[in-house]
Order: sequence, then C-alpha cells, then structure tokens
Amino acid sequence: MNRLKPAAPLLTLLPALALVPVLIVTWTGLHGGGLSIWQQFLLGALHPSLEPDLLQAVWHGLGVTMATALLSWSLSLLFGVLLGSACADVVWRSWSLPTWPATGLRRGLAIPRAVHELVWGLLLLQVFGLHPYVAVAAIAIPYSALVARIWRDHLDSADHRPLDALISAGVHPVSALMTALNPGMGTVLMSYGGYRLECALRSATLLGVFGLGGLGTELQLTLQSLQFRELWTGLWVLAAVMLILEQLLRFWRERSGVGVHGQRRILLFGTLAIVLGVIGTFWLRHIVPDQFSGLSWIGMEVPSWTQLNAAATELPWLRMILETLGLTVLAAGIAIGLPPLALLLWPSPRWHRCCSMFWACMRWIPPPLMVLLLLLSNRPSLAIGALAIGLHNSGVMGRLLLEGLQQQSDLRQEALRAMGSSERISWLYGLLSPQSPSYLAYGAYRSDVILRETVVVGVIGGSGLGWQLLESLSSFHWAAVVLVLCCYCALTISGESLSDRCRSLWLQS
Amino acid sequence: MNVSLSGPRGDRLRSISLSVFEGERIALLGRSGAGKSTLLAIANGSLRVDKGEVRWRGASIRTMPRRNKREIGMLWQDLLLVEELSVGQNVNSGALGRHNLIWGLANLLFNVDQSACKHCLQRAGLDAGLIERGLIDAPIRQLSGGQRQRVALARLLRQQPQLILADEPIANLDPAIASDLLDHLLNRSPEGPLNCGAKAIVISLHQPELVQRFDRVIGLQDGELVMDQPSEQLTAADLSRLYEAG
Repeated sequence: MNRLKPAAPLLTLLPALALVPVLIVTWTGLHGGGLSIWQQFLLGALHPSLEPDLLQAVWHGLGVTMATALLSWSLSLLFGVLLGSACADVVWRSWSLPTWPATGLRRGLAIPRAVHELVWGLLLLQVFGLHPYVAVAAIAIPYSALVARIWRDHLDSADHRPLDALISAGVHPVSALMTALNPGMGTVLMSYGGYRLECALRSATLLGVFGLGGLGTELQLTLQSLQFRELWTGLWVLAAVMLILEQLLRFWRERSGVGVHGQRRILLFGTLAIVLGVIGTFWLRHIVPDQFSGLSWIGMEVPSWTQLNAAATELPWLRMILETLGLTVLAAGIAIGLPPLALLLWPSPRWHRCCSMFWACMRWIPPPLMVLLLLLSNRPSLAIGALAIGLHNSGVMGRLLLEGLQQQSDLRQEALRAMGSSERISWLYGLLSPQSPSYLAYGAYRSDVILRETVVVGVIGGSGLGWQLLESLSSFHWAAVVLVLCCYCALTISGESLSDRCRSLWLQS
Repeated sequence: MNVSLSGPRGDRLRSISLSVFEGERIALLGRSGAGKSTLLAIANGSLRVDKGEVRWRGASIRTMPRRNKREIGMLWQDLLLVEELSVGQNVNSGALGRHNLIWGLANLLFNVDQSACKHCLQRAGLDAGLIERGLIDAPIRQLSGGQRQRVALARLLRQQPQLILADEPIANLDPAIASDLLDHLLNRSPEGPLNCGAKAIVISLHQPELVQRFDRVIGLQDGELVMDQPSEQLTAADLSRLYEAG
C-alpha cells in the first residue's frame, strides 16, 4: 500500500466530511411542526410586507446600521493604519531605534483582536448602557487591531531595498517610508479596506440582532414574532444594500490599477474613508438624536482573587472548551469543504451561477438569524450552530473560490478534457488544483474567524463559551466574565497562531 | 480535417484540408504566428473551429465519445503539467480518461498504479536511480526544464494514444536533450513512436534542419497551408520560401 499523502485539491474537499455528522444530527432532530412555519417563511419571500409603517421602521433601522458601519469602518482604518505602522519593525528601524516596542505592541494588540465584536458589544453594553457609540466602539476596537495586523504584515514583508537606499541617501524616514512603501501599501489599503467595509456592515447588522439597534433589531423582532413577510422586507433591503456594496467594491478593485492613476485612487480612497466617517457621525446623530445624551458609566465590579478562584472551580471548563472547539471544527469543515464539493458535483456554468446566488444569500443572513431559522424545525444542538456558521462562512469562501476560478486560465482543464477526462475530473485537476493552495490558505484564516464567531451561536444555541459568557454577563458575575474572556482569548490567540502557520505552509507549497 | 478559424485580427486559419495516415511521422513547419499551435489545438479538439470539422476514424471529434478522445495525445508547448501535484499524480493524469471520478480522487490521496507510473517515467528517458529515489512523490516545481519535459512525455505514454500531436516539444531544450527526446518521439520500432503503440505522430518544429528525420512535411504561412510533401522531396528553396517574410 502506498503512503497516504493527500494532494492540495483533495484537501479542499476532505473538510466536507464534517457535513456527515452534522446532517445526521440535523436529520434526526427534524420535527414536522416546523415544516409549516418554514413554508410560511419561504412564501414570505415572494410577498414581503410593503406597509408604510414597516417600511419607515426598516428605513430607519437601515440608516442606523449603515451609519454605524461607516463610522466604525472609518475609525478602524484610521487607528488600524496608525497602530499597524507603530508595530512594524521596519518603521522603528527607519529611525535606527530598537524594535522591542513594536513587538510589545503587536502582542498587546492580539487581545482586542481575539475578542469578537459581539463580545465587545455585550461587554460595553453592560458597562455603558445602550448608546449608538457602543456599537461603533464594539466594531472599531477589534477591527482596528485586525487592520493593524494586516498593515504591519505587509509593511514588514515588503521589499525594503528602495527604503534602505533612500535612508542611506539622507532622506527623512517619513519621506522615505512614504516614497518607498506607499504604492504597494496603497493597494493593500484599498483591497483590504474595501473588504472590511463589507464586514463592518455585516457586524453592524449582527450587533442589531443582539439589541444594539438598527436593521438587525428589526429582523430579530419580526422573526421572534414569526412575522415572515415583515422579516423578508428587511432581508430584501439588506440583500440589496450588500449586493450594491459588493458590486461597487468589485468595480473599484477592478478599476484601481497600479502606477500614477493607482496612487491617485489611493489618495481618493483615503479621503473617501474620512468623509464617509464624518457622514456616518452626522447621520447617526441625525437619526437617533434622543440617544445622544452622553455616555453613562453603569460600572462593573472588579472581581477579587477569591471570587476568581471560586468562579474557576464552579465553571465546566472542559465541556465548554470542547464544545467551542467542536463547533469550530465542524463549521470550518462545512465552510471550506462545501464550496469545492458543490462545484465539483455539477461543473456547469449554470450550476455555478446557482451556487453563486445561494452563497450570496448565506453571506447576507447573519448567523444568529440562521440559527433561529434552523431552530424553527429542529432541536437545539451543536450541529445546528455548526451548520449556521458553516453555511454563512461558506458564502464567503464560495465567492472567493469562484472569483479565483474565473481569473484563472482554463488551458489545463481544456487539455485534460481533450485527453478524454470527464468534466468533473478535468475541473478537479485542471481548475481546482491550481487554486487549492491559496484557497486552503484563506480557509486557515477563515477557521480562525470561525473560532471567534462560535461565540455568536454559542450565545443563542446554549453551548460553549458564548453561552457561559452571556449567562455571566446577565447575572453580573464579573469574575466568571473575566475568566471566560481570558479562556476565549487564549483559545483564539492559539487558533490564530495555528492558522498563521497553516497559511504560510500552504502559500509556500 | 477541413477547417477554418477566424481571430480578432483576421483569419487565424484559412480552409486547411489535411489527412494523417497510419505510420506517418509528420513535421509541421512555419514561422512564429503561422498557425501551427492553433492547428494542433484544433486537431486535438481543445479549440473549436468556425467552419469545417475534424474527424478521427470517421467520427467528428466534437461529438465522439469521451473514451475515443484519449486516442489523441498531445504534448503541449508549455506542457500544462499541474504544478500543485506530484510527478506521479501528473503522470497518472494521462490515464484519467480511462477511469472514473473515484480513481481520480484516489490518485490525489496516494500514488495509484505506481509500477505503471515508474515504467512510463523510465520509458520517457528519466534516470532509473532518480525514480527509485522517490522522484514520483516530488513536486513538479522542483524539476528542471528537461525533467518536466520527460514527465509530460510519461503522461503521454500513460495515456496510450493512437495519434501523437506535439507542439514544439524541443523548443526550450538544450541540443543534446532535444535530440534524445526527438529520438524517443520518432522511434521507428514496430511499437511506433515512444514505443507506446501510437500509429502516427505530428510534431511542430522551428528547426528545418531536422525534417529529414520525418516522412512528410507540412508548411503553414499566415494561417494557410502552403506545403505538403514527402520530406525527401523538400529543397532548401522550399524552406526559404516558407520562412520568408509574409
């Protein structure tokens, strides 16, 4: 027997095995009572409610969500670029300074990055009460740390020879950095910054689902009262906004080349980010003027050592951690394995367009709403949580895979077809194979995101660290909150380190 | 075949009518851009024509069953090896036309039919010691240009084609390796080119000095068939007319 050594294209498909236990549990947990509710839900898509009062509420909610997203995005770009520059070794070396402060800052930023925006939202909500700026801060804090990480990674991995040449010629470090690294970094800012705007809109909707206002709150209220026609009004509006945003960003990316015109667009992008942030601020003040009475400190009790000790012994750590890891593995398996498997089974352009539409829907529906929808006809279980996060993230992975495949030459596929290979085989070997290392590398990053997102469905599905965090926050058990947050941070930081290693392994292979 | 193909800047091929017979070794000549690669891609069925059709054993190549397509093997100019796979997996991809999806997936998990794979690599001229030292598991990108060419040849052997089409197979090789490779391709043993049972071979070339090793020479100029004659009748004047500026 030969040594088993799965090749990259097979490794993109193997994670789909996670679907087997998830579908078995989901199938056995199905109950007939939910089928009529599902029927009503699906019919609601065809006849969304157009009542003026509802439309006004949805419009108001959309305004809050968009203003929150714009402001938090703009702030996260600003702070992310500043923090990212401050923790880049190359910047400190340009001034001939030691790089240990950069290392320290990098390690410090791992903590705000490790905590999901929903956790930040719930935490700040407990401390400051309901305020539009709570949602903005909840998004801006982790996003700034994420942007800082990407910015720093690109700064330190760029070609430094032009920078060294300028500095040795006596150019001031700021001018040298701007001249030598600006063109490459501008492309990063535009592509990654654009992607983060999409994420900010999704996060603002998600925070709304948990009561922080906006369109998410409208969706949550209509779903809880089973008003599916009203729910679909909100979902269609959200889908339209996301679609327009995705198309605008794609158009921007395609038009923004390198060179002189590219640099002009970068300046334009920076200006646009600041202007949109200012617009977001005024928009938010205009929409919810009564809530801008100033932030009030409700406060939190700093737990004592004894309280921390007591909380550490009373919480079921092993079960919580295993549930969180199980949820991550299953959801990541679905997110990574489902898109290539679906495309492989029927490799025709028409089917691929259907998949593209399905994935767009999966991206637009926030995971907690998807959990609630699945719970209409199923028992609560870890599998339902995994299915919800997995499907939502498969929407992101599927779009990435399709975009990659479209940009790739199909010569190998044609060659294999001409050699008599079937459509599936020629797609697998000729098209998926060249894409698979970069797809797996992105899958590693996505698994890291999924680990953070487990807290979202944990809160609803009654499992893992998310559920315990919500319980502890609701009962103002600050000792448990601190410990669960520490455990969550340790898990996500370990996950990030593991995903970094996997990513570099795949990109090098 | 009797084919025409138009491109964005005019006709790429104009009414080319050709037949290839059993046992023939054909050299396809012409300047760069004359249409040699296009003609081979059409003959192989990977490029569709505007007018006319390509027939293989009397059946149209576009409509014939998949299992018959594997009877036409192609050695591409840029080889079209799958960089992300190992040498063995690439060689086995030549046999994908004879197997189903499960076999294709198994080949991505471990090296199926390792002995057949090694046999093809050896017949393609790769050093036996190198093969025994684990070349089969090596990633394609670790190989030199000459070794990659051999792997592409081994893939062709694994396909077991009846007709071989080769698009400038020796263009980027040093003279010694190029001569050795051509010897393999034009093998005159009863087992045919490459000893793989192929019945005929068509090779596009940029080296007119090698045409004496072929039975028949076909010349293209600006997408038109301007020469089709036995190689022994070819004169220096014919060649200079073929390569003069259009």
